[in-house]
Amino acid sequence: MAVILIVEDDVFIRGIAEMMIQDWGHETLLASDVDEGLSLLRSPQHIDALFTDIYLKTAVLGGCDLARQAIELRPELRVLYTTGNFITEKMKALFVDGKHFLAKPYTQLQLQDSVVGMLAA
Amino acid sequence: MAVSDIAASDIVETVPSALLILDRNLNITSANRAFYQIFRTSLEETEGCHIYDLGNRQWDIPALRTLLESVIPHRASVEGFEVEHNFPTIGRRTMLVNARKIFRPGDQDGSILLAIEDVSEERAARAESKRNWQLTQSIVDTIRDPLVVLEDDMTIVTASKAFLTIFGITEAETHGRRVAELGQHQWDVPALRHLMEKVLPENKPIESFEIEDTFPGLGRRVFNLNARKITQPGNHAHRMLLVFEDITDRKQRERDALSLTNEISHRIKNNLQVIVGLIAYEARSTPLPCVQGYKAMQARIGAIAQLYDLISQSSRGPTVAVDAYLREIAKTMSTSLLGNSSGITIEVKAEALDIDPDRAVPFGLLVNELATNAIKHAFPNGKGRVVLCVEQVGDQIELTVVDDGVGMKNKDKDKDKDPAKLLEKRGADYVAIFVRQLGGTIVPPEPQEAGTTVRILLPLLLVPVGAPDRAAA
Repeated sequence: MAVILIVEDDVFIRGIAEMMIQDWGHETLLASDVDEGLSLLRSPQHIDALFTDIYLKTAVLGGCDLARQAIELRPELRVLYTTGNFITEKMKALFVDGKHFLAKPYTQLQLQDSVVGMLAA
Repeated sequence: MAVSDIAASDIVETVPSALLILDRNLNITSANRAFYQIFRTSLEETEGCHIYDLGNRQWDIPALRTLLESVIPHRASVEGFEVEHNFPTIGRRTMLVNARKIFRPGDQDGSILLAIEDVSEERAARAESKRNWQLTQSIVDTIRDPLVVLEDDMTIVTASKAFLTIFGITEAETHGRRVAELGQHQWDVPALRHLMEKVLPENKPIESFEIEDTFPGLGRRVFNLNARKITQPGNHAHRMLLVFEDITDRKQRERDALSLTNEISHRIKNNLQVIVGLIAYEARSTPLPCVQGYKAMQARIGAIAQLYDLISQSSRGPTVAVDAYLREIAKTMSTSLLGNSSGITIEVKAEALDIDPDRAVPFGLLVNELATNAIKHAFPNGKGRVVLCVEQVGDQIELTVVDDGVGMKNKDKDKDKDPAKLLEKRGADYVAIFVRQLGGTIVPPEPQEAGTTVRILLPLLLVPVGAPDRAAA
């Protein structure tokens, strides 16, 4: 089972994602913005994967920024992005290599497939 | 002395220029055939006559007087002396006169040879060309978008006033130079150069080539470049018209609109995510037979969510592209209802049709419902194919959802035999509502050996020409 860091600024959505991921036996860590996410990533805490929203609070591309810094800190980290926004070329250019993407609104089955795909990669 | 006395007399008689020989008193001693033809006169009327008296004094021209009385006495020869005169016999003419003093042995006084070339047509053509050029230039200068005209070697022939003003350069700085060399080489873009090289030889216009850069005195600007070949009737030379449209403000408005759309989309999607999350939460404590209903509800929400993306991405204006919409719905249903390991596939066969965004939601939900029904009921063994088809048939849209599953004949054999009623039993209440909402009809199904085909005819949902921009509203 994996340790997955969920970064999502909406408390309810973050809670539901946490519940779903824990249902599949994974351990979860929670953050609501880039700074909180980075603080966990800089800690000695073991983390296998990052599941991050792209639009975090006022940072339109905060999730992209976070993932880029996360990969610099932990090159082996798997990344799954999510957003309700249309994915622009600018966003794609900011994605880290080997990324996975899940559009909002996602169902539990879609999230499960994405998490399984991300961890298997 | 006579013209025939000159050694090359045959040549004299055949040259197209009119030739006159005058004595020192300006009396005509000889003329050639071209002179008689051009000025419609004869040897008898001409020879021995004073030049000014010839043809009712029509040669008594002030300019000619100047040449003969003031210039010739002081010079051995004069070339290219232009005389414009309205001759009573032949009308207004422009003559190019060459004059030379000729001295023969024993002839102390000498003679004057006048070669007169009628250049009226050439001058008229030149004047016409100049007028055309001035007209073209004045049109060019009134166009607000900067533009340049290029030779086939890509050098600038002319630049409009708007071009010179906007880019802060002089006409001298543009003439004979390539566009790529101007300014700080902002136009020196390989892709643009490649396209420009095809305009003249292949008659391939450039449509909306966008360049964004920082221009001295202008700041950050976005220009749309359009180029096409221009030809002038009767002229083999081809030139290129290159127009620069400043679309900076338009681009900014588009970016602002996109930013707003993204903000709205972000909020809507998050709200839909909350609803989907609530359903997911409820589904955890729901008995298994009911879970499928919750999943179907999530798929319906997914179909609506797709619509927002498609409207914001639509490149066809204020309409929704049906083909793209169906593909997104199919993708969403595959992932939300079936998952990666499912043996059921959803395919799309759709024509490039547009629908009014107002009708896109019921349309999307209708497709979602029909496909969900097929997935839920047609494949008890978990394997099969659902095909979503949309095509225009006359003035209607035909939506067909086909599956290769067990079909209706093999289901509920002991119940109602009417396929239409069976369709209703397959959760078709929503279908009936959406079809009614769209003003369509369900085509009564024909009995088939295997699989199920549901056909629905809908009025053409195209946005009428001139309809208000509803997507932007």
